[in-house]
Amino acid sequence: MADRSSHDPLHDPLAGIAFDRVPPAGAYGAAGEPGVGVSTAEEPFIALAVARQGHAASVVERLRRALGVELADRPHAAIEGGTTVVGTAPGRFLVLSRSEPDLAGTLRAVLGTEAAVTEQGDGYVTFDLSGPRVPDLLAKGALVDLDPLVFRVGDAATTVIAHIGVTLWRTGETSYRLLVARSLEAAFTRFLIASGAEYGLRLENQGSGGRG
Amino acid sequence: MSRPDKNRLASGGLIDRAAPLSFRFDGHSYRGYAGDTLASALLANGVRLVGRSFKYHRPRGIFSAGAEEPNALVELRSGARREPNTRATVVELFDGLEATSQNRWPSLGLDVLSVNRFLSPFLGAGFYYKTFMWPASFWEKLYEPFIRRAAGLGRAAEEADPDHYEKATAFCDVLVIGAGPAGLMAALAAGRTGARVILADEDFLPGGRLNAERREVHGRAGAAYAAHVAAELASLPNVRLMTRTTVFGAYDSGTYGALERVGDHLPVPAPFQPRQRLWRIIARRAVLAAGATERPIVFGGNDRPGVMLAGAVGTYVQRHAVLPGRHIALFANNDDAWRGMLAASEAGARVEAIIDVREEVSPALVEAARARDIRVLAGSRVIATQGRKLRTVDVATPRGREQLVVDTLAVSGGWSPAVHLTCHHGGRPVWNEAIAAFVPGASPAGLTVAGAANGSFGLGAALREGAAQGAEAAEALGFPVPPLDVPAVEDEAFALQPFWHVADSKGAAFVDLQNDVTAKDVGIAHKEGFRSVEHLKRYTTLGMATDQGRTSNVTGLAIMASLTGASIPETGTTIFRPPYTPVSLGALAGHHRGKDFRPVRLTPTHEWAARQGAVFVETGAWLRAQYFPRKGEKDWLETVTREVTAVRSSVGLIDVSTFGKIDLQGPDAGSFLDRVYINGFSALAVGKARYGVMLREDGMVMDDGTTARLGPEHYVMTTTTANAAKVYQHLEFCLQVLWPELDVAIASISEQWAQIAIAGPRSREVLARVVDADVDVSNEGLPFIGAVEGRVMGGVKARLFRLSFSGELGYEIAVPARHGAALAEALMAAGEEFGITPYGTEALGVMRIEKGHVSGNELSGQTAARDLGLGRMASTKKDYIGRVMAGRPGLVDPARPGFVGFRPVERARRLRAGAHFLSLGAKPETANDEGYMTSVAYSPHLGHWIGLGLLVRGPERIGERVRAYDPVRGEEFEVEVCAPGFIDPEGERLRG
Amino acid sequence: MRIPCPYCGERDAHEFSYLGDATLVRPDPAAVDAQDSALADRFHDYVYLRDNPAGAHREWWYHANGCRQWVRVTRDTRNHAIAGASLAREPGDAA
Repeated sequence: MADRSSHDPLHDPLAGIAFDRVPPAGAYGAAGEPGVGVSTAEEPFIALAVARQGHAASVVERLRRALGVELADRPHAAIEGGTTVVGTAPGRFLVLSRSEPDLAGTLRAVLGTEAAVTEQGDGYVTFDLSGPRVPDLLAKGALVDLDPLVFRVGDAATTVIAHIGVTLWRTGETSYRLLVARSLEAAFTRFLIASGAEYGLRLENQGSGGRG
Repeated sequence: MSRPDKNRLASGGLIDRAAPLSFRFDGHSYRGYAGDTLASALLANGVRLVGRSFKYHRPRGIFSAGAEEPNALVELRSGARREPNTRATVVELFDGLEATSQNRWPSLGLDVLSVNRFLSPFLGAGFYYKTFMWPASFWEKLYEPFIRRAAGLGRAAEEADPDHYEKATAFCDVLVIGAGPAGLMAALAAGRTGARVILADEDFLPGGRLNAERREVHGRAGAAYAAHVAAELASLPNVRLMTRTTVFGAYDSGTYGALERVGDHLPVPAPFQPRQRLWRIIARRAVLAAGATERPIVFGGNDRPGVMLAGAVGTYVQRHAVLPGRHIALFANNDDAWRGMLAASEAGARVEAIIDVREEVSPALVEAARARDIRVLAGSRVIATQGRKLRTVDVATPRGREQLVVDTLAVSGGWSPAVHLTCHHGGRPVWNEAIAAFVPGASPAGLTVAGAANGSFGLGAALREGAAQGAEAAEALGFPVPPLDVPAVEDEAFALQPFWHVADSKGAAFVDLQNDVTAKDVGIAHKEGFRSVEHLKRYTTLGMATDQGRTSNVTGLAIMASLTGASIPETGTTIFRPPYTPVSLGALAGHHRGKDFRPVRLTPTHEWAARQGAVFVETGAWLRAQYFPRKGEKDWLETVTREVTAVRSSVGLIDVSTFGKIDLQGPDAGSFLDRVYINGFSALAVGKARYGVMLREDGMVMDDGTTARLGPEHYVMTTTTANAAKVYQHLEFCLQVLWPELDVAIASISEQWAQIAIAGPRSREVLARVVDADVDVSNEGLPFIGAVEGRVMGGVKARLFRLSFSGELGYEIAVPARHGAALAEALMAAGEEFGITPYGTEALGVMRIEKGHVSGNELSGQTAARDLGLGRMASTKKDYIGRVMAGRPGLVDPARPGFVGFRPVERARRLRAGAHFLSLGAKPETANDEGYMTSVAYSPHLGHWIGLGLLVRGPERIGERVRAYDPVRGEEFEVEVCAPGFIDPEGERLRG
Repeated sequence: MRIPCPYCGERDAHEFSYLGDATLVRPDPAAVDAQDSALADRFHDYVYLRDNPAGAHREWWYHANGCRQWVRVTRDTRNHAIAGASLAREPGDAA
């Protein structure tokens, strides 16, 4: 199969873009008000807390108290100010913070020996998707029901989109946040552009540095 | 330019006369309207010959008005977008459409290969199989070239498809399949409850038979009522109405496959729109309302252009306002066909006669026919036809034979419910005597059937059943059901006398028009013993190809049943499997084609490496730098040799971020590692790393790598690039399933950390320049296999490991991934004075072969630790995964192939991986096989090729000569067995 | 096929990888001496011998593209109907 870059730019929004680079910021696809906005600009600090054996409930309690979030041991994103706690598996929580550079250290202090904490802020690229057509776009890759009628604000899922593992949650009426493995940023962005072009897609990704 | 559409009625139809379209068929220009199909537009223009048949190149016309079309297959569009075997009956007309007839040469009118019909004795039933009995040379020289040229359908495009396709998933409470009267009512009933409803129909216009018949519903014309319901459905936010969408398969757990033809009705898909979209629809309940397919009666000459299903004649007249012919006769065995023909007559068609096999027909119908000046020939049958395009029809009547002059013969043998989706989970349809048709048997869980698909052919019944089942589906899911006013429509009587085949007719009588299978072929199959319907299908090809026997299956098996004397239900049907209609491979692939075939993972230094001129290689999902060619280097070998030499003599660097990295924490982490590795880790000192080997439970090596202890309860494991996910899954299995009592928490940190290896005698000096002042990298501060945490590049957190894969002094430096590229730059700057050289996976491979390390080629899943010379690592003081099975007699047999090195006796020879070993003088046959070469490399250190491999009793045979036998390349020469480890076997370099 | 993950909810089978019989118990290596052929026999059975029932089958599915939990699923092999699912670390009665 030929590289798609040889294709007609009116039909292939990825025409001319190297497959092994993160596509540049800009407008893709249909003209006019974009149906989907994609931003990878924000870079929160991320750490993973894994409850040690028998401590899941206590970890929930400690996180709730320390971070002031409403939390339960289920796939849900608890959002409070600049902090988000997302359940990804039983007793497993991804904590995101906009303001806490030593997030892992803070969590270790809060959780003591009840949880294993690892830094994950470099492991993920954060995609913030917004706009009325986001559910339609995600339906082209996801196998979970993201219909806004059933996937409510705060609902979270760790799943696969276009063969790429993601953890995602709904942050607002028409906004969603997705965590994607850093090595797959280009591949995932390509999927978003190819699938979102019919709605018009605006990509902003100037914020995340250090891509080499 | 275009000629007038002479067969178009002056009024009526569901076409937009304000939107004329021009199109071309076989180079001629014609005119049609929006709302036409290609078939209706061709008929409107009097084009009746549209293709040549598969085997015999017989002239063929349009036979149906839907997806069941066996004849009117055309090539659509041209160039890269040329699409063969497109059914003209479902192609929505667009302005500028270009279509070409198939399987004819040089032209449709004059086809020299029509002589094939004289070869019919050779092309009859079982012709594929019989050719296997011919000498092989016949096949190659004669048969295959002939069959490829003569038989077949359209030509695929020769260029890459320029359009894009996509896949999507939708969820709903109730999926309604088919938007005819039953489906519309089902969707309405379910939609009004607030349930999420998807209504899918393959047509571009919802309504099904309501658009093709003259019936009133709720005081409106049927088509108007359909439009009215469709409009309400479109207005409901919880209902998604999907036209041009065929539900083609019922899969497990309420999953349905559907193909949406987004841009097939346009010359070129709209900007940024896919041509087609493949839907996976997950429905809690489904209502199948796919209608029924009319089936013909088989008689001699039944394939002439002008012979057409009766319902299709009705559709063309009512929906498209097209007269398929000037003089029409009907040949039928049922009342329904009469009603359709009377309606067509009212709409302006000239119906000359109705030929019915029944002696007795409802007096009301006979009266109505006579009132319209239609001759009624009861108790009669068609016994022959004439004309290249139909001209005359011979009919045997109770009063003798007579010839009718007609250009169109409408045929109806009754209707077959579209039960296909009900059979996709193995359900078998059940024979219903009253309608002489198969109706759904056991359906997939959650699927019910309504209307004609259920054998309920009355319009009133379809509306009622649809409404009831839509409501029931929603109710079962807990939605409150408001009352629904179902239109009361009189149920027409469905009277039919089963009749399949005019056995005394003259000429070839086709059962399967698409595959050119005749009633005689069915007879041959029967005579030759192929009596099961599944055998009949394979032997004669009846029911194969694009139409999957939609119009031929039941007729074929009815004929077989009459030959065997068994009943039709005893004879049974072939199994229906997905897809219901053809699905293009492009749609199945969606976004994932070409370079997007699967997601590619990029290393943190990818762009940096690209700037260094790297050539990349796919290793699993990763793209890694393979080598870094420089100007003037003539080939990869020269480049790789330079890179290896640079490392061995000074220093080089390589990104090893692709290794799997797993963080393990908890009081039981050490003992957990003891159980998954063959060697011990609980006694490993903090600040040290160790090479480990893990087995599968069957005793074979699963993976290897180094694991470092960063704290008393904290380890970091590395896995090979290829096995990262597999090892993680294995560890979770051990922790969750085997030993849930162990208190260990694991987390993947593969993506978090970029890791760069530097190797070579100058690597310590380079490292010293990038670490922060307080980090001691001296031989004492960071001894061999040391592992410490520290900071680099002025405050960047790092993990430093003194490890070596190359055999040289070496380190691996891990930093948070965002700093990976900066680390590469810093190391390059720090090593500039030593000529630090980036190297790729090739040089890495060369050096590990020189050093005699095992890698992926040796960890093949068929090697035990002992085989690889790693047996002594295994602890005897503890249990670990695979220990017991690794002790099986077969795995400890000293005669198993063991890991050794090889060098060519003639040093200039190039070794080849995959070559097999033979003792000197042994015949090259399987019994004498003594193992094979797993890895080879040109060793710059030694100046010749070296290899690693598995040789029977290898370690005992050091110094012996064996033959390396490579029949693939036609090479065979002697090699010398040596210890694996061609460089620094004492390991002084890496400890220095 | 859709598998009801006890943590994530119902998910497509594509997200899982399959292991097979969940009723097998790894032989206790300490129960008999390592050289004991009885132990080898038990491991042989554990590694290789599998029933192939037509009907209810309790089996391991790993939710690789989800919560990465091992899920014990009771599935009817004849029609893929799933009677129940539980996490490996939960009590083992899935049906």
